[in-house]
Amino acid sequence: MNTARFSAFGRQAGTIVVTLVGLLILTFCIGRLMPVDPVRAIVGEEADRATYEMVAERIGANLPLYQQFFRYVGDLLQGDFGVSIRTGQPVINDILHVMPATIELATFAIIVGAGLGIPLGILAAVRRNRPVDHVIRFLTLIGHSMPIFWTGMIGLIVFYAALDLVGGGGRLSDYYIGLVPETTGLLLIDSLLAGDWEVFWDAVNHLLLPASILGYSSMAYITRMTRSFMLDQLNQEYVTTARVKGLSKSRTVWHHAFANIRVQLVTIVALAYGSLLEGAVLIETVFSWPGFGQYITNNMLVGDMNAVMTCVLLVGVIFIGLNLLSDALYKIFDPRTR
Amino acid sequence: MQRMGKLFSTILVASTLLTSPTWAETPPNMLVVGFSMSNILTLDPAAITGKETVQVLANIYDNLVALNAVNRSQVDPLLAESWTISPDNAAITFKLRSGAIFASGNPVTSADVVWSLKRLMTLNLAQASFLKTHGFTAANADKSFTAPDETTVVITLPKKVDPQIIVQTLGIVGPGSVLDSKTVMEHDKAGDLGSAWLTNNSAGSGPYTLGQWRSNERVILDRNDSYWGEKPGMKRIMMRHLAESQSQRLMLEKGDIDIAFSLSAADLKALEASKEVEVQTNAGSGFYYLAVSMKDEKFQKPKVREALRYLIDYQGLNDTVLPYFGRLRDRPIQAGLFGALPNAGYTLDVERAKALLSEAGYPDGFSTTLRAISDAPFMNAATAIQATLAQAGIKADIITGSGDQIYGAMRERKYELLVGRGGGGQLPHPDSNLRAIVYNPDNADAAKLTNFQGWRTAFYDEKINGMVDAALVETDKAKQVKDYEAIQTYYADVVPAIQPFAEVVDSVGYRADIKGLVLNPSWSTRLRTVTKER
Repeated sequence: MNTARFSAFGRQAGTIVVTLVGLLILTFCIGRLMPVDPVRAIVGEEADRATYEMVAERIGANLPLYQQFFRYVGDLLQGDFGVSIRTGQPVINDILHVMPATIELATFAIIVGAGLGIPLGILAAVRRNRPVDHVIRFLTLIGHSMPIFWTGMIGLIVFYAALDLVGGGGRLSDYYIGLVPETTGLLLIDSLLAGDWEVFWDAVNHLLLPASILGYSSMAYITRMTRSFMLDQLNQEYVTTARVKGLSKSRTVWHHAFANIRVQLVTIVALAYGSLLEGAVLIETVFSWPGFGQYITNNMLVGDMNAVMTCVLLVGVIFIGLNLLSDALYKIFDPRTR
Repeated sequence: MQRMGKLFSTILVASTLLTSPTWAETPPNMLVVGFSMSNILTLDPAAITGKETVQVLANIYDNLVALNAVNRSQVDPLLAESWTISPDNAAITFKLRSGAIFASGNPVTSADVVWSLKRLMTLNLAQASFLKTHGFTAANADKSFTAPDETTVVITLPKKVDPQIIVQTLGIVGPGSVLDSKTVMEHDKAGDLGSAWLTNNSAGSGPYTLGQWRSNERVILDRNDSYWGEKPGMKRIMMRHLAESQSQRLMLEKGDIDIAFSLSAADLKALEASKEVEVQTNAGSGFYYLAVSMKDEKFQKPKVREALRYLIDYQGLNDTVLPYFGRLRDRPIQAGLFGALPNAGYTLDVERAKALLSEAGYPDGFSTTLRAISDAPFMNAATAIQATLAQAGIKADIITGSGDQIYGAMRERKYELLVGRGGGGQLPHPDSNLRAIVYNPDNADAAKLTNFQGWRTAFYDEKINGMVDAALVETDKAKQVKDYEAIQTYYADVVPAIQPFAEVVDSVGYRADIKGLVLNPSWSTRLRTVTKER
């Protein structure tokens, strides 16, 4: 039994390592195939050949590709993630700084997305083909198909510019910047720790719109998936049996049908959260949100491979982590997998 | 389902409660500036590239001299109270003002100036090219930059050039920024001359010091309370990274930012209508141009290049594509500089172009490609030029891409036609334009003089090289003006590979109650004079 468990664990660890290495190789190749030149980004348009070659040598861009790759991996194995070309800072420091902004955004968004999406999906399934269902399906279709860039812009025009309900770009108003000490980097938590309610409300005020818009778009997805999972269940004979036996409709829906789709829901919510954590570069751009999505994109655009590779590794780790987490939740929700 | 309804309404109510009305304007003693900062890679004056960084550092570091924002050919004293040029034009002697101190409290001495210049040449990064062009190198830096006493700096020219251009170079952010040598060297790491530290720290004597730089988020500049000059109006300058022009516009209209530096033409146009926002446009540096590669044998024929000159709708581009980006200019020296001739007045003349093409052996035109960066205004200009080329039978397929792709192809001399921007102009001296746009000291592929657009186009004309060199060393000012005029006339006759159709201008939007904002060319606006009238 123990050996079986051990070998299962070994297999899983092996898969993780292979996945991450594959991810690194792929990212490195894509990054190098892209027509960007990190040396040019550093030296600028005006630099002459001598300067260009000096910098190329310093950052190792003159080496053959495979050597660059091995050099990177070698450093990585020693725990050195390198220094970003774009910010001049250790990549790890950069990520520690941009990640909290994204975590705040993604978490708020997934709360909106799952918190509204799952109940709405169930409602739509239960009221199938009735007006409520049509309205929900229409709303989610819009949420799913509108470009988020555009929704963000319209959101800013309506809720920020016209109605003055929320803050504009950035995570805080200019007055509040630097008022609370950075402990976790999560502004909501830091401001609470410092007991500074004004900063807290200002941060909420800035978070609300971008997170709701992101949440709306993931809600659209979650609602549609919930609805179809639920319909599958409601068409099953055991539901009819339960109703015939005299069980109330809400008990049938919540205790029987819903209980059966929890496992699937956990997977899609985890994946949706994962892609939110990967950063939403468009929303971050529109809202000047200094998050992970912008960081990885901007670094990709100048060929800052140290930063990009570390980010990709992190995304890989996040997804693997979420997968493991949803596996664990499966075991709680579904006795058969125990 | 009732439970759900309750949940839904609770969330709605909660979210409305959370939203409190935001402030409608920026604090009275803080200037909030918005622009896209994705190009800021370092704040070390020797290593910076791009105008965004210049906009930051212009407020942190002082130079020996300052280029006048309005009268472009005038140079004003700054850290140097005066300077003299030796009669043989071989040396410039600067006298430093007394009482100037760095933000650290250290006095600004001639040793700091000399150290900063030597550091620039030793590091040999982006900004060194401005001085390398005129013969300065790391090797001759000890001889070229000397400090006979605490308040005197002597710059000995390694090569015969107009000393005025060196004085001007010392007035621009980057090569001319004066650093606090003691403070920087306290942070020297393995002989990097403080490069790593200066990436996100400052050691200047300017009106502001660097409070914080967060890549792609913000730059905070705090007032340097020990500033030696007139006290800055604002206690703090908050520069915010706002990548999107539309976000900048919304925030400017609402008063959440005071100045927006990277607005698109459409947004600037819309802002013109607002009473609360003003738009200011000022000269930038360089040109928008149509370039040909003379590696292509078609374009080696002068008649073909001349035909292209008449296939650009100068006025049309100026009226529709280029407002806020550029202003009509068809000569290789920017308007307003000494020696600049009025526009030649080229117009779209399809018949004339067709005749020229026939003479060159292409009566039915030919097929080619036209490269342009996939942004405004490049794409719009390229599309317009594609249409006018077609009128004479030249079928140009547009190839778009990022700056790296388009200028990368140009640097490798692998292109045919290209709509681009460039041509020097950071200094208010005709040489700055000509050297970038037409000068080509060595046309060999192996020379790889990618920093000269002349080399990139493979246009080589010994006579024009000689004229550019001679004009720069001409000591008689009147004769020098004549020389530059002659170069432009010759340029018109010989039809080099780059035909400018506009010169670059920069436009910013700002709140109407912001006073004292004087845009400097090329984003080097000093914000010390800005105040708010509220």
